[in-house]
Amino acid sequence: MTLQTKVITSFVALALLLPIAAQAGGTLDRVMSTKVLTMSSDPAYPPQSFLNDKNEMAGFDVEVGREIAKRMGAELKIVTPAWEIITAGNWVGRWDMSVGSMTPTKERAEVLDFPAVYYYTPASFAVHKDSKISSVADLNGKVIGVCGGCTYEAYLKKNLVIDAEGVPAFDYKVTAGEMKLYETDTHAYDDLRLGDGVRMDATLSALPTIQEAIKNGYALKVVGDPVFYEPLAVAVDKDDAEFSAKIAEIVNAMHADGTLSKISQTWYGADLSTVK
Amino acid sequence: MAREKRAIAFFLAAAAIFFLLNVGAGFFGELLAPAGLTGWAARGAVAVVLALILTGNVALLLLLPFWPQVIIVWIELLLLFLAFFASFNLSYDFILTRIGFLITQGAFTTIYISLAAIVLASAIALLGALARLSKNGFAYAIAGFYISFFRGTPLLLQVYLIYLGLPQLGFVVSAVPSGIAALSLCYGAYMAEIFRAGIQAVPRGQGEAGTALGLKPSLILRKIVLPQAIKIIIPPTGNQFIAMLKDSSLVSVMGVWELMFLARTQGRAEFKNLEMLVTAALIYWILSAVFETIQARIERHYGKSDHR
Repeated sequence: MTLQTKVITSFVALALLLPIAAQAGGTLDRVMSTKVLTMSSDPAYPPQSFLNDKNEMAGFDVEVGREIAKRMGAELKIVTPAWEIITAGNWVGRWDMSVGSMTPTKERAEVLDFPAVYYYTPASFAVHKDSKISSVADLNGKVIGVCGGCTYEAYLKKNLVIDAEGVPAFDYKVTAGEMKLYETDTHAYDDLRLGDGVRMDATLSALPTIQEAIKNGYALKVVGDPVFYEPLAVAVDKDDAEFSAKIAEIVNAMHADGTLSKISQTWYGADLSTVK
Repeated sequence: MAREKRAIAFFLAAAAIFFLLNVGAGFFGELLAPAGLTGWAARGAVAVVLALILTGNVALLLLLPFWPQVIIVWIELLLLFLAFFASFNLSYDFILTRIGFLITQGAFTTIYISLAAIVLASAIALLGALARLSKNGFAYAIAGFYISFFRGTPLLLQVYLIYLGLPQLGFVVSAVPSGIAALSLCYGAYMAEIFRAGIQAVPRGQGEAGTALGLKPSLILRKIVLPQAIKIIIPPTGNQFIAMLKDSSLVSVMGVWELMFLARTQGRAEFKNLEMLVTAALIYWILSAVFETIQARIERHYGKSDHR
C-alpha cells in the first residue's frame, strides 16, 4: 500500500464508522438503560414552563414531564433549545421528548410523532386596557401581533389545521388588517402594553399566558370568549414506535387517574385536561 | 470676541433643539409647574434652562487641560446614562436576586465560548491568510471558497446549519461545540482577510532581504514578516474579538445558557424583561472594556518601534 492509498482507505473507513456511532432509534432502550429521560422545554413561556426564582425550570409542562419520567423510572433532564430547532425534528437522540405545549399540526406530524394529547389551551384575543374594542368582531382590520410560525399565526392566516382527536370545531372570526410576527407571544405583549395602537391593536395568544401577564401588571384585557381550543401533545422523534406507545400509555393513565387535572389546577387554577 | 459669538451661537442652537424635541418635559415640567408656567411657555423655559446648563458646562470644560476634560466628560455621560436607566423604574431587588446566576452561569459561559472561538478563529485565520497568499491553486481555491461562504452568510444561519445540518451526515455535535465551531469559522473568515492585508502590507523588500541573506521561507515568515504584520493586524482583530463576544449570544438558539439566553429568560416568569436586559447590557459592556484594555496593551507592546 502506498501512503496515498492508506490515507484514502482510512478516510473511507472513518466515513463508514461515523453513522454507526451516531444514535439512531432505540430511544426506549436508551432511556431504560441510562435511567435518564431528556426533555426539551421553552424557558420563557410562563406558566407552562419558565426559569423560576431559583434558576430552575418550573411550570405545568415541566411538572407533566417530571411525572412521565417518574412513571418510566427515570430521572428527568431538561434542555432548552429554540422552538424552531425542536420543531425541525430529527433530534438524533439529543433529547427524547418535548412536553412543550405543542399543537399537533399536520405539518409538524410529518417530522414528529404525537403519541398523546395531555391538555387543551383556549386561544383568546387580548387588547390594551384602554382599548375601545369590546368584542371579537371589532378586531377585523386591526393590527394584530402574534408569534411567528405558531398556531395563532395560522389561525389569522386562516390555514390552521389540527389533526388530532377531539378538536372542537371552530371558525375564523377575524381578518387582521395587518399581522406583526414575534419570536414568542410575550414579545407581542411587551409591544401591546406600550399603549393602545402604539405598535398594534391586539394580540392572539394562549389565554392562560395572557392571564398570567395581567396578573403580573401588564395593562391588557381579554376580549370575548376563546376563539378556538387547541389540543397540546407530547412530541417525540419518529424513529421509535415502542417509545411512542410507552408515552401514550403513561399519559392516558395520567388522564384516567386525575393526575393531569390536579397539575392543571395547580398551574392554571382550572382543569384544562379536557375540553369544556 | 469670536469666542463669545461662538458661545452664543452654541447656546441658541442648543435651546432651539431642546425646544423642538421637547426634551425633559416630564421631569423639568413638573419642577416648573408650581411657578405657574404651562404649555409653550414651560417648554420654552425648560429649553432655555437646559441650554444654559449645557453651554456653561462646555465653557467651563474648555478651560481645563486635555485629561481632566476627558475624565469629566466620561463621568457626565455615564451619569446621564444611569439617569436614563433609572427612568425605567426597574426593580433593583429583582436584579440583585438574579445577578449572581447571570454572572456565574451566563457570563462565564459567554466568556469561555468566546475565548475558545478566539483561539480557533486566529488559527483558522492564519491558515486562511497563508493559503490566500500561496501559489498553490488548490489551497488558494479552498481558502477563497471558505472565506466567501462564511463572510457571505449570516452567523445565525451558520449556527443552524452546523447544529441541524451536520447530524444529517452522521455527526451529532452538541450545542456548545457547534456554537464554538460556527463562531470560529465565521470570524476566522473575516480575520483571514485582515491577516492577509497585514502580511501584504509588509514591504516586499523585507522578505527579499531575508532571501538575500539565505534564510528559509518559513523563517522569513516567522521572524521578519509576521512580527511586522502583527502591528497592523491587532487593531482590526481586537474589533473582531469584541464583536465576537457579543455575537456569541447567537448560540443561545441551541439552548446554551449563556448571558443573553439568561437575560431573555430569567425575567420572563415575573414579566420583568427590561431588568435583566439592562443588567446584561452592562455586563457585556464591562467585558468589552476588558477586551479593549488587553488590546491596548498588546498594541503598545508591538508598537514599541514607533515610539520616538
